[in-house]
Amino acid sequence: MSDTSTQNPDAVADVLSAREAYNAGLARSGARGRSWTVAAIVLILLIALPALQFVGNYNYALHMALYTLMYVAMASSWNILGGYTGYVSLGHNVFFCIGGYVSGMILAKMGVSTLITAPLAGLVAAAVGVGVGTITLRMRGPTFIISSIALLMIVRILFDNWGYVGGANGVTLPVTDLDVRWAKIPYYYAMLVIALLAVVASYRIKHSKFGLGLRAISQDEVKAESAGIDTATYKVAAFAVSAFFVGMTGAIWGEYLTYLRPNIFLIILVAAYMVLMCIIGGKGTVTGPIVGAILIVAFNEFFAATLGASEINILATGLIMVLVLLYFPLGVVGTLAQKGRLPRFLDWD
Amino acid sequence: MLRVEGLCKHFGGIRAVDQCSFEIAKGSISALIGPNGAGKTTAFNCISRTMEPTAGKVWLDGKRIDHLKPHKVTRLGLSRTFQITRSLEDLTVLENLCVQATSHGFARLVGPSISEEERAKAEEILDFLGISRLAYEQARNLSYGQRKLMDFAALLMSDPKIILLDEPAGGVNPRLLDDIVEHIRALHARGLTVLIVEHNMELVMSLCEHIVVMAQGRVIADGPPDAIKANPEVLEAYLGASTAAEETSDAEAAHV
Ligand SMILES: Nc1ncnc2c1ncn2[C@@H]1O[C@H](COP(=O)(O)OP(=O)(O)OP(=O)(O)O)[C@@H](O)[C@H]1O
Ligand SMILES: [Mg+2]
Repeated sequence: MSDTSTQNPDAVADVLSAREAYNAGLARSGARGRSWTVAAIVLILLIALPALQFVGNYNYALHMALYTLMYVAMASSWNILGGYTGYVSLGHNVFFCIGGYVSGMILAKMGVSTLITAPLAGLVAAAVGVGVGTITLRMRGPTFIISSIALLMIVRILFDNWGYVGGANGVTLPVTDLDVRWAKIPYYYAMLVIALLAVVASYRIKHSKFGLGLRAISQDEVKAESAGIDTATYKVAAFAVSAFFVGMTGAIWGEYLTYLRPNIFLIILVAAYMVLMCIIGGKGTVTGPIVGAILIVAFNEFFAATLGASEINILATGLIMVLVLLYFPLGVVGTLAQKGRLPRFLDWD
Repeated sequence: MLRVEGLCKHFGGIRAVDQCSFEIAKGSISALIGPNGAGKTTAFNCISRTMEPTAGKVWLDGKRIDHLKPHKVTRLGLSRTFQITRSLEDLTVLENLCVQATSHGFARLVGPSISEEERAKAEEILDFLGISRLAYEQARNLSYGQRKLMDFAALLMSDPKIILLDEPAGGVNPRLLDDIVEHIRALHARGLTVLIVEHNMELVMSLCEHIVVMAQGRVIADGPPDAIKANPEVLEAYLGASTAAEETSDAEAAHV
């Protein structure tokens, strides 16, 4: 084939000009040079945030940051399966629950902190993800979505009635010995690490050959398989990675709240948040879930503070989301990228 | 190279493929022809394992492939295109090609989505097909003919031993069609085995050295183009019984 190209200078010029045009496009969108500065500044600020405790009581700010980081981690993990691979799971909080209970029960029975056992919780969640995924990922589209809701319902019934883990009443976990001023900090840093890992994993996957395979699967599975991609294994792997990070967040969240109860982990709102954050931010983009998590947590908190009652604030958040989607049908990051107006610091695709 | 024995695919009561057997020689260009609904696409689907056959055995290079998953068949060197093109719409043409690239080891999977090697190879192939300027275009922006070419290009990324082309010329403009034929010839010259499904008889007769004819799921003729042209059963299948009878009587009359 190389001889064809040397014989055909026109074609070579074609390649070169196409590549140039493409590179010019990339340069314009800013993807050529990643905006490491902004990422580094954000990270430094997040690392420095707990220092506020030296000058006053910023427990509320820390709590909100921790809560947002948790959803950044969960939405980014969900995005690996729902965004890249195109399998929308509405029962992903099952893995949140599994992580919470695995580490939480170890804490309750043996006194080992979830800060240490979180990776184990993640692995158990991933293992369950492999088992569940092997069965449910054979279904496609709406059938898969329904199977994920069914999973959530089954697990809910299971945990509500499982005496060993306290059934619907749950289990109370030992409270940390730390002074109330510092009590949140270990969990805050744990969530920061998990969120960082999840986002980095999501970024690395997006730009890997594995990620290309996942994106191929989301477009046309028959074609992807016919192209030589082991679609069954890819999907299960994506499911497992996705479940792993969600499981870790669950572990930390349980000890942070000091109790485990099915109705904290297994309400559909948690799963719905993961999905909505990705959709609002931009499904299948690296920074979309982060933007979505920040937006939804912020709106929710704002309305909870101003409107009080929970139904009304959910309604208001819903309205805002409809408005956002009207103007940003592909999510904030997705739509801006499509229009070529995505700020460089958000462009990691 | 490729051997099919007793291949069956039934959809409820329809016997789309019914006891099909044929063999494709290594390094040949062969055609699978037959009227609409003869079962050609279904046969392709069963061979490439996109569909589970009801019964039958398939060998590729002497190795049974009829129990394998489709990606395994592809990795063994049998690649196919789809009659109705299937493209990965949101991906660029380059990405569409590189999805098909051969390396699947763990080290490769965590590596970059498109390696420099793959990029070079893909550009070379696009070049060879004269569509290099489309490399960074999203597949959704391609015309039908361009999609046919892209599918064809993607096929070559995996270094197949045999390619199954389902109507590569369907819906493609005549100039492009000549191009495609040229490309098939060039690939054949490099030792690739080709099996095509095609309705354009002129193209089939000039390009292929071996023709398998299907009608209503069955293989009704198998041989070189000249023998196929002269086969009354083939005429009947294509033109309907009465026309065939007329033609034979015409021929008889002319003889007298
Ligand atoms: N998925 C399916 N479900 C039910 N019947 C099918 C299916 N696919 C094909 N068939 C039937 O099988 C028969 C053979 O179809 P097939 O597509 O293989 O024909 P073909 O020879 O490729 O025709 P064409 O030249 O028009 O492409 C047809 O009668 C068709 O209706
Ligand atoms: Mg067909």
